[in-house]
Amino acid sequence: MDFKDYYAVLGVSEDAPVDEIKKAYRKLARKFHPDVSKEKDAEIKFKDVGEAYEVLKDPDKRAEYDQMRKYGARGDGSFEPPPGWQSRSPFGGGGYTEADAAQFSDFFESMFGGGRRQQGAGPGGFGFGRGAAMRGEDVHARLALFLEEAVKGCEKQVSFNVTEADERGRLVPRRKTLKVKIPPGMREGQHIRLKGQGSPGVGGGAAGDLFIEVELAPHPLFTVEGENILLTLPVAPWEAALGAKVPVPTVDSKVNLTIPKGATTGQRLRLKGKGMPNKAGKSAGDQIVVLQVTLPKQHSEKAESLYRQLADEEQSFDPRSKMKT
Amino acid sequence: MASQVRTEVVEQTTTFTLRELCEQSGVHAEYVIKLVSYGVIEPVEEPAAPEWTFDLESLARLRKAQRLQRDLKLNVPGLAVSLELLDDVQQLRREVERLKQQVRQLTGR
Repeated sequence: MDFKDYYAVLGVSEDAPVDEIKKAYRKLARKFHPDVSKEKDAEIKFKDVGEAYEVLKDPDKRAEYDQMRKYGARGDGSFEPPPGWQSRSPFGGGGYTEADAAQFSDFFESMFGGGRRQQGAGPGGFGFGRGAAMRGEDVHARLALFLEEAVKGCEKQVSFNVTEADERGRLVPRRKTLKVKIPPGMREGQHIRLKGQGSPGVGGGAAGDLFIEVELAPHPLFTVEGENILLTLPVAPWEAALGAKVPVPTVDSKVNLTIPKGATTGQRLRLKGKGMPNKAGKSAGDQIVVLQVTLPKQHSEKAESLYRQLADEEQSFDPRSKMKT
Repeated sequence: MASQVRTEVVEQTTTFTLRELCEQSGVHAEYVIKLVSYGVIEPVEEPAAPEWTFDLESLARLRKAQRLQRDLKLNVPGLAVSLELLDDVQQLRREVERLKQQVRQLTGR
């Protein structure tokens, strides 16, 4: 088991007064709150910060921790509590951490053990009465989909942690894996709910639900704008000038698109019904094709002479007409 | 193990009454009414409170509001501001990503 340096977690010195600890905790809790932070391991950091605060805010626990910190300071960072160690400050104080006590580290457990909530005997917080039936916690998970998967719907494996009672009635985390059929048309940030797949209830209470928030992985060609799917389509100058029929990829196949004569860069063409479907799987959005006139990197001598002819022919065209004073 | 995993099918369109929303998230109706009055969540349609229905996004948002209030000790007006700003930031992040990608495509890099 690794020793946890709670002072380092909160970024305070060993002799920091409680006020400073509180301030550091508040700041870090805001920074790493999983609903606020975009950092990858925000959730882990947030839990660490909560655990550190749970110990350091309480003078008794802090004193015990300091003692242990001296004792447990082995060179390799590993830690074992001394034989017969028992905390005089059983966990169960107030504060937000109550709800997440089961998520605390093994290190915390070894020090303030027996502290994890026990069935029917936990801290008398909200709805946690003596042996009363309690609904299991809802669980929130994120799931990244490729655009193709979001458009067509797919089957995905999702792993997440639930909290359940072990044989001694203590609430401990357990990893759970489910296969989930994702309906077509999920947008970034939308949720799906799986009823009863969250943490199991306590004392005969119903299980909580699983909420999955969908994220979309960036696609090399397409971007999503509301219910429409955008594609930038390079076209040659002569295709733009003369009009053309060109093959265009859509998310699930391709279509032939007519470029109108005299098209320009930035012009938007609409492929009806080729955007994001709605929840019933019916077409809702369109695919918007944004034209981009693209030139070859080099021209042949023949092409250059043709350009000279073109320059003669198009003398009235001033591409910088809007720049004149 | 994976082969034993059962496939869960997602319920499609779920709506919740005010009562169901409260039961689901363990809050009083007054709390939900307050969140609605601050525009934190919105009922699908707005008849009188007892007939309100909420969609899944409202429930998810209510849960988020609860987490933020519990963890950061926000009051409801503070919560409303935070959630709005978080929404804005997220929307801007997406917009930036989308524009970056378009620039990449336009410049061919």
